[in-house]
Amino acid sequence: MAVLTSSSQNLQVHRFPQDHYIDSLRWLPQLSAFHRNIILAAFDSETSTSSLQILSSSNSSSNPPELTFQSSLTTPSRISSLTTSQNPNKLLIAASTFSGSLLLYTADLVNGSLEFVDSVAEKGFHLGRVNGIDVSENGSEFVSVGEDGRINWVSFVGGGLSTKKVFDSNGLVSYGAVKWASPVEFVSSGLGFGLQWWDQRRPGGPVSQFKANWTRGTTSGIVHSIDIHPSRKHTCLAGGSSGTVFAWDLRWQQQPIMLSGVGTSDLSALSPSESDVWEVQYDNYTASSNYRNMSESRVLPAMICSEDGILAVIEQGEEPVELLAEPCAINSFDIDRQNPSDIVCSLEWESIAILTRS
Amino acid sequence: MPGLTSESDVLAMVPVSPESEKQPLVNYPLRHGLKSAIHRLSFSWACGNTLRVSVFRKPPSEKADGDGEAGGTVVEVKLSNSGDEEVDAARWRRMAYTSVTPFALLQSRKHSLSAASRMSLDIPPYKAEWWEHVIEYSKEISSLLTDRKPPPKSIIEDPKSVVNAIAAPMCLKAAWELLEIFYVDKQSQSWIPERLLDWLADYNSLFSGTLPTIHSKLVDFQQELVGVQVVEEDPNYWDAMSSALAVGWLETVVKLLRLHGSYRFDQLSSRETENGLVEAVAVLISKMPRMRPSLREDNLGECYQTKPDFMKAWEKWRTQISKLDCSSYWLQCDHRQTREGLKNLIQILLGNPTVLSNATFNWMELFISHFLYIRPFTAGLESMHNSAQKCMQVKPVSISHKLFGLILGILGENTEVVLAECSRSFGPWMMVHAVELLTAGSTHAEILLHEEHSKLGGVSIEELHRLIYAQVLSSHALTWQIAPIYLTSCIKQGIGLLENLLYKQPVQHSQILLKSIEICRLYELDTINSNIMRIAGVHHWKHGRKGSGVFWLQQARDEFRLNRIAKQLFDFVGKSVSDEGFKQWEGLIELLGSESRTAGGLEFLNKYRDFRRSLLQVHGATPTDAARNAAEALVSLMKNPSTPQRFWLPLLYDSLKLLMWQERPLVNVSQTQFLLNKLQELSMARLRPDFVEADLPSDALSSVRLALATNLGRAILEE
Repeated sequence: MAVLTSSSQNLQVHRFPQDHYIDSLRWLPQLSAFHRNIILAAFDSETSTSSLQILSSSNSSSNPPELTFQSSLTTPSRISSLTTSQNPNKLLIAASTFSGSLLLYTADLVNGSLEFVDSVAEKGFHLGRVNGIDVSENGSEFVSVGEDGRINWVSFVGGGLSTKKVFDSNGLVSYGAVKWASPVEFVSSGLGFGLQWWDQRRPGGPVSQFKANWTRGTTSGIVHSIDIHPSRKHTCLAGGSSGTVFAWDLRWQQQPIMLSGVGTSDLSALSPSESDVWEVQYDNYTASSNYRNMSESRVLPAMICSEDGILAVIEQGEEPVELLAEPCAINSFDIDRQNPSDIVCSLEWESIAILTRS
Repeated sequence: MPGLTSESDVLAMVPVSPESEKQPLVNYPLRHGLKSAIHRLSFSWACGNTLRVSVFRKPPSEKADGDGEAGGTVVEVKLSNSGDEEVDAARWRRMAYTSVTPFALLQSRKHSLSAASRMSLDIPPYKAEWWEHVIEYSKEISSLLTDRKPPPKSIIEDPKSVVNAIAAPMCLKAAWELLEIFYVDKQSQSWIPERLLDWLADYNSLFSGTLPTIHSKLVDFQQELVGVQVVEEDPNYWDAMSSALAVGWLETVVKLLRLHGSYRFDQLSSRETENGLVEAVAVLISKMPRMRPSLREDNLGECYQTKPDFMKAWEKWRTQISKLDCSSYWLQCDHRQTREGLKNLIQILLGNPTVLSNATFNWMELFISHFLYIRPFTAGLESMHNSAQKCMQVKPVSISHKLFGLILGILGENTEVVLAECSRSFGPWMMVHAVELLTAGSTHAEILLHEEHSKLGGVSIEELHRLIYAQVLSSHALTWQIAPIYLTSCIKQGIGLLENLLYKQPVQHSQILLKSIEICRLYELDTINSNIMRIAGVHHWKHGRKGSGVFWLQQARDEFRLNRIAKQLFDFVGKSVSDEGFKQWEGLIELLGSESRTAGGLEFLNKYRDFRRSLLQVHGATPTDAARNAAEALVSLMKNPSTPQRFWLPLLYDSLKLLMWQERPLVNVSQTQFLLNKLQELSMARLRPDFVEADLPSDALSSVRLALATNLGRAILEE
């Protein structure tokens, strides 16, 4: 356990070794001031089994936090993406799998237990890995994208799931990540730093496409993760190969706003990472102080985690703030929505790190 | 073949190793589920520790028609470790992960130092710096072998607890510390005996499983102690104390002495002399001079840093003991057990060989007791080795513990034995990391380990062990990605094996693919990088993910394959080009990009899309300029060698309206002639058997020919 002090803020880092690989992890809503739960998708390589686990984290300021195992459910296939809905009545956890299915669970935060709700696994859903999944704000609409080039809309109604195919590219395009922009719009990402804007009122194909063409040469351009801020639904934040992070504003479609990346000479010096950015999320903690003063055209601060072990906050035109520099990759992270000073991230070397900013 | 006689559908596999007498045999049941008799078995290695067993049934005879059962089945058997390892798989992986950083840091320091010193690390200032690095490395590795959390210390100390219930120590750590004591920690050279004593105190419990030890004796006594009322009458009390004293666990002895009945308030007056003697012995024990810079927490004794000081103190202390031994108070002590017990302790302090031998249970303990009480000034490995040999004669062990072999190898200054013991008992992890300590600590070891052996294919022993360890890491899905760090530290064979490792990774898993590419980037393996991308591209293509296939082949700049798949892709486009289905293609064309990026024959798709766009904009009311642009696009598309022949006629047919433009001819004479030539070429090609007929109206060719002829006439007139 190390306590780091970075230039601008105090940071406490606690690491917890696990006995399995962690594919993805998320905070669950806070129940009390002292206890929070984390859900993680674990993969045990010895037995080739995967499971969803709930861990509880004690949260007192004096003692170092402790992680205790709460419950676990074996899943039929390895989890590729995990998302939780903030529906106050029912806490839903949706997971997409390597085998092309979508699993829905509900969690009881008081007992820390998990319960299976429903799944979609029929042949027509996805063929092969489902790469991305996202849940709408009301917590009952899911959208999933796969490497097979299919996009499906899944609704949770009356206790079960029903699906509707949005698009099928027949493998001509593979999609990597997906994020809702509004109840009827979402953005998908893919190869060649491509982003697609979909609108359910205009079906049949993406209403708008973006493909970056600034990368020439040896770098591969894949967008691994995207995020959309609820207050700026016209802008999509994307992170991918070669430390690249950019924002695509629908109002200025032709030119992306570059935030980081080694591909662009003027940004290389500012890029916290030079390999794959696995996840991007807007960082409300950094923004909260001067959020209101921020001009509309500026991109809000974002947090990234990368293959070369960096967890950092980047802001347009500013030096990035490095929170962690690990000897191994940081595969995923999550910022606590209720308490954005806290971050949980999963490390490639089978461990979890919890960071507290103060 | 054993195991084949069984009638059931479960076979068993029993590995036989040359050392099978020592290790228990492990059974691996094979659930193959075949009902008929097994005809043949075939074995091959799958990934890592998994063995793939193909079970074939007897081929069904001609007469008996098929009973519907398959001809055989393939089962995978995971060969786990035999189960008695002290490190489980998850713990082992954690060790592998955490030792990467210290190892890599040490290697990079070695490089920069040897670059600075231009050859050898033996030049004094560099040597000293190197020592510090190796010590730091050793401490870091040692700390990662410790369990994470020490058990919480209870606030109220139990006066009767004599043995600390610490988490079971690891043999691996014990071995590592031995190497550190003898090879690395030069500062402690003068007090090696004291370090060995600490070492035995920490790890004595490790021997308890196979040998009688003082630790197990004390644990037994601890349990007994709870029920004993008058301890001093229990012979075990005195035995336990003499044993603990023999190996220098002074604090335990003093603690036990203070449990003596004469300390009790109700007896203090009646047993005053007796108590005085007990206390005198306790005080003498706690004042024992020790040749070491400082004591560990809770340990007793008085420290002396230099040899003269220590010798002086030692003589003085011995004199005090002899004086006590001859004291007349003993005659007044009427408690027989106390008198005899205390006298026995004094004999130990005076270094009586027989008493020491009785108080210890194995040669290692006796060896330590000799340091403490018989030869406190022992220095040098040779005299230590002699002493150890003598102790082994006194207390031979029936079963040799793996740590004993290591100690004897170190004391005998026999690097080969040390290496062999490390390798045999502690495995590849230990070898690869301990080699750094050995080469730093002994010139002989350095020469031995760095010498290149022709029978090993030109690699040194150091490199050999790194290669072996890298193989072990490579065999596991979670640790293979740290193998490159060890492989790249191997000068001779490392890169070759790294290439093999990367080629063996499954490309269908995108995370692994990207990881491989990242490793290629870090180590500048450009050729392998593009080969892996090419493999990935072909894999995706074969599995129907055309977009990903094209993407990775483009990344690999594999024009050859792009051209090959272009043909197939155009078959797939086929007639659907002109209709709605083309919308699906937009994404792929978008991906191909308009840049001069390698797209091979697929470049055509892009041009074709542009042409289609311009054609769609052309209708009756369009100004002639726009139509002319479309016509230009048509001609350039037809001139482009990458435009497949099978698209020629559909292209021309789709552009009939351009060829018959009302206002004026859009295509000039030479262009029309070129197009007519193309048409002619097409007619010739139709005679070839492999020609694919476009799905167009039967009069398409003639109407295009007519349009072109008309256009030619108009164009000639215009010019």
